Amino acid sequence: MKKNVLIIAVAGLFLAAGTGLFGAAPVEKKLLLKNGHILPVSGEPFDGDILIVGARIAKLGQDLPVTPDTEVVDLQGQWVMPGIIDSHSHIAVEGNVNEGGDLMTPEVDVLDVINPEDINIYYALTGGVTCVHTMHGSANPIGGRGIVLKLKWGASADDMIVRQAPRTSKWALGENPKQSNADGMGKARYPKTRMGVEASIREIFEQAKDYMKRWEAYDRKAAAAKGKKDAVLPLPPKKDYRLESVADILRGKYWVRCHAYQSEEMASIIRLCKEYGVKLVSFEHGLEGYRITNELVENHVAVSTFEDFWAYKWEAYNTMPQSAALMVKRGVLVALNSDDAERMRRLFFDAAKAVRFGGLTELEALKTITINPAIILGIDKFTGTLEAGKDADIAVFSRHPLDPYSVCQMTLVDGKVYFDRAKYLEDRQKAEEAKKKAAEAPKPKDKKD
Amino acid sequence: MKKFIILAAICAGLAGTLPAGTGGGDEPQVILIKNATIIPVVGDRVDQGQLLIRDGKIAGLGKSLAAPDGALVIDAAGQFVYPGFIDGYSHFGLTEISAIASTSDVREMGKENPELRVIWAINPGSVHFGTGRVNGTTAALVAPSGGTFPGLSALVKMDGWTAQEMAVKEIATSLINFPMSPRPSGGEGGGQQQESKVDVTSKLVDKIKDYLKEARYYLKLKKDAAADPKLPTPETNPKYEALAPVLDGSLPVIISVEKDKDIELAIKFVQDEKLKAIFRGCGQGFKVADKIKKSGIPVIIDSLYAGPSDPEDGYDAPWRNVVALAKAGITLCFSSGDDSSAGKDMPYHAARAVAYGLDHEEAIRALTINPAKVLGVDQRLGSLEIGKDADLFITTGDPLDPKSEVKHLFIGGRHTDMKNYWDNLYEKYKGRPLRKG
Repeated sequence: MKKNVLIIAVAGLFLAAGTGLFGAAPVEKKLLLKNGHILPVSGEPFDGDILIVGARIAKLGQDLPVTPDTEVVDLQGQWVMPGIIDSHSHIAVEGNVNEGGDLMTPEVDVLDVINPEDINIYYALTGGVTCVHTMHGSANPIGGRGIVLKLKWGASADDMIVRQAPRTSKWALGENPKQSNADGMGKARYPKTRMGVEASIREIFEQAKDYMKRWEAYDRKAAAAKGKKDAVLPLPPKKDYRLESVADILRGKYWVRCHAYQSEEMASIIRLCKEYGVKLVSFEHGLEGYRITNELVENHVAVSTFEDFWAYKWEAYNTMPQSAALMVKRGVLVALNSDDAERMRRLFFDAAKAVRFGGLTELEALKTITINPAIILGIDKFTGTLEAGKDADIAVFSRHPLDPYSVCQMTLVDGKVYFDRAKYLEDRQKAEEAKKKAAEAPKPKDKKD
Repeated sequence: MKKFIILAAICAGLAGTLPAGTGGGDEPQVILIKNATIIPVVGDRVDQGQLLIRDGKIAGLGKSLAAPDGALVIDAAGQFVYPGFIDGYSHFGLTEISAIASTSDVREMGKENPELRVIWAINPGSVHFGTGRVNGTTAALVAPSGGTFPGLSALVKMDGWTAQEMAVKEIATSLINFPMSPRPSGGEGGGQQQESKVDVTSKLVDKIKDYLKEARYYLKLKKDAAADPKLPTPETNPKYEALAPVLDGSLPVIISVEKDKDIELAIKFVQDEKLKAIFRGCGQGFKVADKIKKSGIPVIIDSLYAGPSDPEDGYDAPWRNVVALAKAGITLCFSSGDDSSAGKDMPYHAARAVAYGLDHEEAIRALTINPAKVLGVDQRLGSLEIGKDADLFITTGDPLDPKSEVKHLFIGGRHTDMKNYWDNLYEKYKGRPLRKG
């Protein structure tokens, strides 16, 4: 009873704060994007407005009413789409993205090394990207944990991290973990074959299962001993941080993102994950995914891939720019990703290529860089399309985003403008003028003593 | 042994997928393209026009050409005819899979290799010729890379039975990788990784000048000996021999240079050495555009899949740069750059520059007549004019738009098979029966 009273009192305090009893109430900013060609992705394109209240989209429609406290931006017929989501990136990771010192490193976490000052965050915004999944590299069969970031350039790492997003575990198969293309030191490590890569995953899974059993036995004994007089408490097993991480993967706490190229290694790992009950969400790259669309569809495994980056190594050779489109047409959930800070700035252009190579509709193409990656990341409930109630993650383009001459003009994350080309041009001009002025200014005479 | 097996496996893999690019057989010698919008690049656009190909050359262009007896007639209503695009710098046929050394012949050891000829190494069966044609490229400059003097490039057509048959010029240019201070990310060539207070770049330029001086001295000794039998003839030096046409200005030399300060040094270097130069790269050219213009040196734009050379230049510098160079009146050529597997993207680089303000017609010239002129082949390539090689393509729309599709492509009047490595995979795997779940 006492507890309930306390809760009511606390709730009352919050309510009071919300209604301004305690001074400055947080007023949510209203922003109206007016007169745009709107591509919601979730529905039919239309000409009209988007009202943003605070960090969310409040309303979409035509001639939305403007209250005096609403800031209005006239888009003058520019094109509006959901902020682009890059489901495979390594930006904003401090230092090396690979913990290459050991074969299995599921315990290392990108969360601990986010660098909010990485210039690539800004560059991504200039290409309409609002959200990225940034990950451990592909050196190890089981690498580290990945994280979803909203690209709030200038904010802290903590503010960028999307806590609601399921955590991910980065795996890798094929040439990278078996170090086929490595020189020197790297050549000495097991495994050297795809068989070895899969065996190494199975081995650590079995170790983790034994580890879990030891702890379960201990917990049982400890529970039985609890409260009993004279009971001798059992000695707990040794904590193993690494196996604890693998156990969490087996418990389904992490969504597995598995770097792979060849169709057969993918088909095989699908079976492995099924056997151990692991949540395999997507293959990364998956350049031969078009060969096993039946298996991908049946097992609900998505592919996060390149539109046309290929032939840089043997396992990336047996593919084509039609791959992404063919997978979409055959029912696979596909995201076009960058894996590269430069490519990240032109994902909209890659989407346009998927219209030409493989014949996606414009809507299907836009989905591969918005809602599809959002689904793969488990963040589709609050971003990835333009819908009332979703986060105001928005990209504005001068033309249709799949038009070859389109230029990103504005990028908003959680309702705030983080990139504005007009402002950029203005700032640059000012800087150039200042520089010119400084160059023309008479130089102070050298003092002679 | 193991290595051999891997190699054999790869070769077998490649052999199984060789492109059916090369035409031949009973190709008609006379082809009429009709009802097309023709953009000759040199000369006015012709709506509802006809273009006649005979014996590998453009034989007619106009509004009322009739099909000669036995001609293959292609109705291109609603479609567009452009001269074939010329890639200003590529590694086509030199690298198949970049990570596998056994499939790469692009970079030799050492710094000074001016005598190396790519024509000795080009693989006409590379799948990248076929995939590189997809967006209308019919000829490419194929260049070696690395070191200070990478060797001699060739200008080749994008289809043919042998590299020699493909060559428009077996020796098209020499190349110099100009020292860089500091080096931009992802670039090739020599240079320093870190900024230094010492003017390292000038010292490295002096080294190149010394090398050219030695070559000049060697050539003089040789010339003197030829004129006077009493004088000794120096031992033949193939490296210096290869530089002879560069030093007398008869062979152009492509100088890869990126930063504004280096470009200024390079202009001075070219003038001092009296070279016939072509710049490549010039990512910071916009800062010294008037100086480049004054020098008369044309510029080959590198792949525009690149960030700014310096963050201070602004995020849009790669594209803005092209616009500024064009505005200054510099002759520009586009190129696909050092990734032959991304050869098809050359028109997309042009599209990004157009998005940021480059005139569309200027972009088309930089893909056609400009590289033809810069490489000295404009009497044969670069525009749709009577008597020129019938290197051209028919497309469904704007050739810079990734949504357009090249439907027909002709190289030397040969109706080139557009079906490539990718299409073969696509045809096969789209046929896999869908499993009903």
